[in-house]
Amino acid sequence: MAGKIPTSGQKILYLSFVFLGSIIFYFDFTTNSFQSIKNGYTSFKISTIFLIKETTIEPFKNFFNLTKSKENLIQENNNLKEALDISNLNNYLISKENIFYKDKNIIQYPIDKKNSSFAYSIAKIKYINHNIFNCCDNHRMHIELISSNLSSNLESAVFNNSGIIGQVITDEKYLEVILLTDIDHSIPIKSKSESFYCNARGSGRANIIICSYNPLVWDEDILLGKEFFTSGLGGIFPKDIMIGNVVNIIDIDSTKKDLEIKLFADPLESDLFGVIRN
Amino acid sequence: MKDFSKKIIFIFLINYIDLSIAPIISKALIIFPLTFLGYSLYVYRSNKNIGPAEGFLVGLLVDLISGTFFGINATLFCIITYLINIYSNSFKIFSYLQVCIFFGVSATAYIGFSQLALNLYNFSYITLLISFIFNILFCIFVTILSSYFPKKINTKI
Repeated sequence: MAGKIPTSGQKILYLSFVFLGSIIFYFDFTTNSFQSIKNGYTSFKISTIFLIKETTIEPFKNFFNLTKSKENLIQENNNLKEALDISNLNNYLISKENIFYKDKNIIQYPIDKKNSSFAYSIAKIKYINHNIFNCCDNHRMHIELISSNLSSNLESAVFNNSGIIGQVITDEKYLEVILLTDIDHSIPIKSKSESFYCNARGSGRANIIICSYNPLVWDEDILLGKEFFTSGLGGIFPKDIMIGNVVNIIDIDSTKKDLEIKLFADPLESDLFGVIRN
Repeated sequence: MKDFSKKIIFIFLINYIDLSIAPIISKALIIFPLTFLGYSLYVYRSNKNIGPAEGFLVGLLVDLISGTFFGINATLFCIITYLINIYSNSFKIFSYLQVCIFFGVSATAYIGFSQLALNLYNFSYITLLISFIFNILFCIFVTILSSYFPKKINTKI
């Protein structure tokens, strides 16, 4: 509770201070003489706040921003990579070089005109065993659909931005893809002149398929570097897609020759794939 | 020294709150002089006899940190110190409501004087009336709070 009641002497003191305050106010009001003090205080306040912020809040803020910006950059990078991969897939599909559309009966819905996007499904790699792919016969991988335009993906061709890599053999939550290089897989191919056909089976080696043929039946001269294309027979893969070129010719006997064809498409070079149905 | 530092920090803090909430509540035509009320409460609750010099210096400091003309708060703080001291015995027989009205009226007077001195062209009786009601309600609210927290806010305002 407040102290004693002011005495007469204290009252005079109060009056003096009130008078002094009034004079100061009047003086400041009319002449603005204390502006420099006010400016000095404002400048001191701003400097102090800035200094305190710089030494206390800013380091934490910078650290937080750094972490956040790094995360954003990573996210942005992933988004860009994905967009680029999709763009590459689109480019591959519309490229004149691979004449993907030559067989229009096989690819029924190449372009969804309403959305101006390709009517194929985009899938992301889920699992592939690199060691087995590089060493052994069983070349399989699992992919997960990101966007699907197809009701069923079974027996659909799978391609990346370099070319065809395999076909879907199991349509479940994740699609199982048998790669062209799996020893249980074979793909009908032909030469550019269309005077040579054969079924190329998987070699069990990375990016190599083998075409065995009887030279007495197929008399076309096959040289190293000769390019091979899908024949479209079998109905799984579209016609006239460049598959690879001959890297080795093995003479087994007079009735059998093996052509080792190196595939253009490597399933390990991208994370994004297109799934297209015949 | 410790006590002095506490007072200075308290003034800065309460003035900061005052300046922060002023733009928000002014939209509802309310002026709420929290620094003035805080100082009044301090004088009212103080066991020591607060002299005119302390009131004057605190007022000058408030003038400085709130950016108003020097002397206005110094004078008004001096006057409220005098008034509280002169009514120190009367407060003992006042009811809670009377004390609340006293501080509400003094806060309104402070607003009125400040407005007359600093903001004459925009002086408004409506603002003054609404502020008067608001300040009394605030004092009553603080009094009710003291009933809920008797140990922490043991105050008869």
